[in-house]
Amino acid sequence: MIYCRNVHKEYRSGRVSKSVLRGVDFEINPRDRIGVLGRNGAGKSTLIRLIGGVEMPTQGKIVRKMTCSWPLGFNGGFQGSLTGLDNARFIARIYDKPYREMRDFIEEFTELGGQLRMPVKTYSSGMRARLAFALSLAIEFECYLIDEVIMVGDQSFQKKCEAAFFRERDDRALLLASHNTSMVKKYCNRAIVLNEGVATMYEDVGKALKIYAEF
Amino acid sequence: MGRFTQALRVQVKVIKALMIRELVTRFGRENIGFLWIMAEPLMFASMVGLAWSILKGPQNHGVGVIPFVVSGYIPLTFMRHSFAQSAKIFVANSALLYHRQIKVLDFIFVRVSLEAIGAMMAYLFGGTVLLFFGYFPVPADVGMLILGWAIYVGFVLSVCLVLAPLSEVSEVVEKIIPVSVYLAIPFSGVFNMAAWLPVTLRDYLMWSPFVTGMELMRAGLFGDAVLPYYDIPKALTVTFACLVAGLVLCRRVRRMVAVS
Repeated sequence: MIYCRNVHKEYRSGRVSKSVLRGVDFEINPRDRIGVLGRNGAGKSTLIRLIGGVEMPTQGKIVRKMTCSWPLGFNGGFQGSLTGLDNARFIARIYDKPYREMRDFIEEFTELGGQLRMPVKTYSSGMRARLAFALSLAIEFECYLIDEVIMVGDQSFQKKCEAAFFRERDDRALLLASHNTSMVKKYCNRAIVLNEGVATMYEDVGKALKIYAEF
Repeated sequence: MGRFTQALRVQVKVIKALMIRELVTRFGRENIGFLWIMAEPLMFASMVGLAWSILKGPQNHGVGVIPFVVSGYIPLTFMRHSFAQSAKIFVANSALLYHRQIKVLDFIFVRVSLEAIGAMMAYLFGGTVLLFFGYFPVPADVGMLILGWAIYVGFVLSVCLVLAPLSEVSEVVEKIIPVSVYLAIPFSGVFNMAAWLPVTLRDYLMWSPFVTGMELMRAGLFGDAVLPYYDIPKALTVTFACLVAGLVLCRRVRRMVAVS
């Protein structure tokens, strides 16, 4: 279980401040597939970063009772000047996983071949996403936080991700921020709509999508 | 207690991984690799030592100018690098904050430790080479030398813990850090022994753990040739106060860091 209790987040830059989340309350149960819907700037990524522990809430609390991935998105989590394999070695060390197994897995899953020996800053966003997914899958979290990113991959990669998340790991929880309504409809059992800093949880995904469409 | 030891084990792993990563990114794997870490303090100290010995002659106040300068400049470059690297260290490493087990304190700890290791290697290597040519004394009291160095490193670390979060919230602090190093020089005991100073000034300098550390190091190195002044309880008190302030600040500022 992961609980969000009255989570507020405010960003401040000089004298200007913006309140992004204003009291978000919900929980993620094991096996939950939660879609996060909201327009650009509604706070989807912020919510995912807070749950992932990358940033801290201004007020409120997030309690993690299951292991939780870092937010899988276009950026973050990698050192650009290091190669893909060096990054993998670093992540293997900090998550206490054997590097050899991890390397074999990412070589197989990412299909990046020799590119893995190039600095990550030379990767396209699709290649980065492949690496991020492969690494997080190799670690085997109980809850995966996915920020938008499945869509950047090509067809074959999307198929791989679908297989990995929705078939092989259907016992895990998933939080999926996405504008892709068909994907949310297909895979999620619940959905959150973010609007004006407030998150509303819908047990009926169809209803959530309908409300989201009206914004 | 079990949770604490578990967390400690995780931190040890993280710190090890960060050190390796830092060494690879900063120095690469080519040519002498991580040995570069001692190259800069060594070059700096030897150049200044040479210049001083030409300007002031080989001996001053009864100690050799070259060993005096080398033993002062290596800790000084360590301090300078550590302070400079603390500026904006959270944002510079923010990609790593994606991994929850990595804490902002780890960044500071790793940077300062690597600088300290580099400085120690430079001291050892430089000292050995100079000793071979007869320009460096055999340390009179190694224990005192190490104690002084430990006090010096401890104070640098605790100041960095204050500087790093402040530089994150204030542009002014970020810009002032390089200047502050030069301001710190008179209070760091690099150029002189406290014994060469007037009594009142010396009393004030006893509040600086740098001076206590430096005096102990010099006493350990030169033995009876110098008269050291130090105040270990004062140094530890100041260091501890800085450490507590730094830990509080780090915790507060971490909550505000926006990670892109």
